[in-house]
Amino acid sequence: MLFNSLEFLLFLPTVFFLYWFVFKNQLRAQNLLLLVASYIFYGWWDWRFLSLIIASTFLDFFISIQFGKTDISKKRKFLLGVSLVGNLGMLGFFKYYNFFVSSWIEAWSSVGITMETSTLNIILPVGISFYTFQTLSYTIDVYKKEMQPTKSFVDFAAFVTFFPQLVAGPIERASHLLPQFYKKRVFDYHNAVEGIKLIIWGMFKKVVVADNCAFFVTKIFDSPEAFSSGELFVGMVFFAFQIYGDFSGYSDIAIGLSKLFGFDLMVNFKFPYFSRDIAEFWRRWHISLSTWFRDYIYIPLGGSKGTKWFQIRNVMIIFLVSGFWHGANWTYVAWGFFHAVLFLPLLLLNVNRSHLITKSYGCIDLAKISLTFFMVCIGWVFFRANSISEAFLYLIHLFELKSLDLSFFYSTNANLIIFALSVIAVGIVSIQELIWVIKKREVPSLSTYGALFLVLLLFFMGSFKNQMDFIYFQF
Amino acid sequence: MKKFLTKIAFYTFFILLIGNATAYLSLYVLGKSQLYKNQFVKNGVAATQFDYVVLGSSTGLTTLDTKLIDEKIHTSGLNISMDDTSLSSHYLMLQFFLSLGKKTKQLVLCVTPDDLQNPINKLNNNDYRFLTEVHDSLVYNYYNRLEDKGLKVLTYSKFFPILGISYYNNELFYPSFYAFLKPNKRNRFDDKGNYTYPQIINNLSEVGFASSKTNYVNPSFLKIQKLCQQKGIELIVYQSPIYRTNVVFPTTNEFKIINHSKILPEDLFYDNIHVNSKGRTFCTLAFCEEMKLLK
Repeated sequence: MLFNSLEFLLFLPTVFFLYWFVFKNQLRAQNLLLLVASYIFYGWWDWRFLSLIIASTFLDFFISIQFGKTDISKKRKFLLGVSLVGNLGMLGFFKYYNFFVSSWIEAWSSVGITMETSTLNIILPVGISFYTFQTLSYTIDVYKKEMQPTKSFVDFAAFVTFFPQLVAGPIERASHLLPQFYKKRVFDYHNAVEGIKLIIWGMFKKVVVADNCAFFVTKIFDSPEAFSSGELFVGMVFFAFQIYGDFSGYSDIAIGLSKLFGFDLMVNFKFPYFSRDIAEFWRRWHISLSTWFRDYIYIPLGGSKGTKWFQIRNVMIIFLVSGFWHGANWTYVAWGFFHAVLFLPLLLLNVNRSHLITKSYGCIDLAKISLTFFMVCIGWVFFRANSISEAFLYLIHLFELKSLDLSFFYSTNANLIIFALSVIAVGIVSIQELIWVIKKREVPSLSTYGALFLVLLLFFMGSFKNQMDFIYFQF
Repeated sequence: MKKFLTKIAFYTFFILLIGNATAYLSLYVLGKSQLYKNQFVKNGVAATQFDYVVLGSSTGLTTLDTKLIDEKIHTSGLNISMDDTSLSSHYLMLQFFLSLGKKTKQLVLCVTPDDLQNPINKLNNNDYRFLTEVHDSLVYNYYNRLEDKGLKVLTYSKFFPILGISYYNNELFYPSFYAFLKPNKRNRFDDKGNYTYPQIINNLSEVGFASSKTNYVNPSFLKIQKLCQQKGIELIVYQSPIYRTNVVFPTTNEFKIINHSKILPEDLFYDNIHVNSKGRTFCTLAFCEEMKLLK
């Protein structure tokens, strides 16, 4: 079920009504309702995939119960191994099996040995990367004795499947979200109003910014050789806003929806396109994933301790794994590698944390923000392209600077209207976020009239006819 | 909670009020213009009596030039074709045309073989253009019958115009600003409803020579035929040229058929199913000869 669908428009008030009116003050019933609602929400795509999420839930619930019963190191490690193999096995099979098989065949064919293709017709379950990482965080935390295993299967299952953030995050830590299922939740007016405003802001970014930009991005990235350098540049910038509007929009909606049910989710984006270097960008972009990698891979690997080579290795691993997490394609690995290359000089010069002590923005920061944004855009070309060769083709045509012609955007009336809408939408988001950055806000904060105005803009600027799926569903 | 729900209800009402008022105004302005074909027929055509009208989709719009026909055989015609439509829309357009009190002696119905034998009618891409007339039961019932289940944005626009205007904002809302500034502006057709493609031939995709059989199965076609009988309109089925294709029609005495599917030299095509400006003249002159014979 999509947040921007008619079904969800009926689903949400129904669950809200049952939650706050029928099961008011009944914690267990509320959690059970959330679990059932989440299963319906997820099963709406394909009910067969419910079996995977239920299997993953059972696996981690019972393994964690076993952790609570034993202090024997060997046994605990074995149980952890079972959880890792089970969860990552499912993720690996459904997400990466075909990729590995075809890469293997391609590798052999490059040395002249032909092998028969034996890929399977596997459908990628929506959100598998998100809920797998969420359940893993619980198991690892319990293994490390950083939290107690829960005894309530319903609470745990509701935590794993919590519908606002189930399919595209934020990837919640068990230590943050799970305890919220244990506590009695009271309706909070201000929290709910903030939630509604976040939902509106998220919807605006998705339906107005991302989906309008997507109209051009799809065409330009499908055949970059047919466009001028100017059009390729705009296409690249539009994709930057498409993916930002799409993904951060989803996160805002998820956080806003959670507030309606009395839950608090972690902030996932902090206006990342106002970063002054790549290190800052990664502290502002998809925070729930980057901190997950930091806590469960980077720090266990040794983090920034040790020799420079050791640090470089860890940074490379973290960025490559991050790229690979996004999808079974070498383009994502190349995207991760590109960011690692941008990050490493900051690490080696020991300035990767310098933005943390800067208190205000100056003129030089504007140049830094522009440069960082441009480099991030270059990275997005690898992320969006169908193959690495297509990404290079795009960049070659872009930097050839043969022509700065933008006629594609006004070649038809429809193109002209959608282009104008995209530019206005990108402008609104950029200016609004700039104001928040200057005011040192970390999360969107709309006035009531601002939110109402956005709703009207949603109606008259939204791309409802050319509606796109959320990009991150495929991850 | 009470305060929250009250405010949500109040603001929802407020937004819907402003949104619907804006959408209504937008449709009103568009409805007074000549931008799309149905508005043109209503607001831009003063005459009520015609010798013939050409009705079809893009092939009807671009193959027969009513100005040239009228010049050659001294008639009074009008092209009421609309691109990206099919027989279901043609039936609606004919009903709409007649409902305005306009009359015609002959109806030149431009068909395509696939559409003619399609037993299922669906909503067409440009049917939203009739939204300015959604209060007319003709249009409302059409939308209601053909829109898919779920939220019928066009149908329910009769009560909440914001639905259709939001969904088709690029096609209706923004063009209404244009229509407000230039109410006599027409969207890609002349003052007789004709349009022509430019003279380029590189849009052709290579195909082998083929024969395509068709049949009179489409329910909207049968309705058009019946309506013509009721109103005393002579029905002429016209088949425009198709690149390297000969369309074969079943023999019938119920209406006349002018089959131009294979008459056009290859360099007069714009693409595989449309003619270019020279091709239009070629077909129109051939059509005039046929009409003379029919007389």
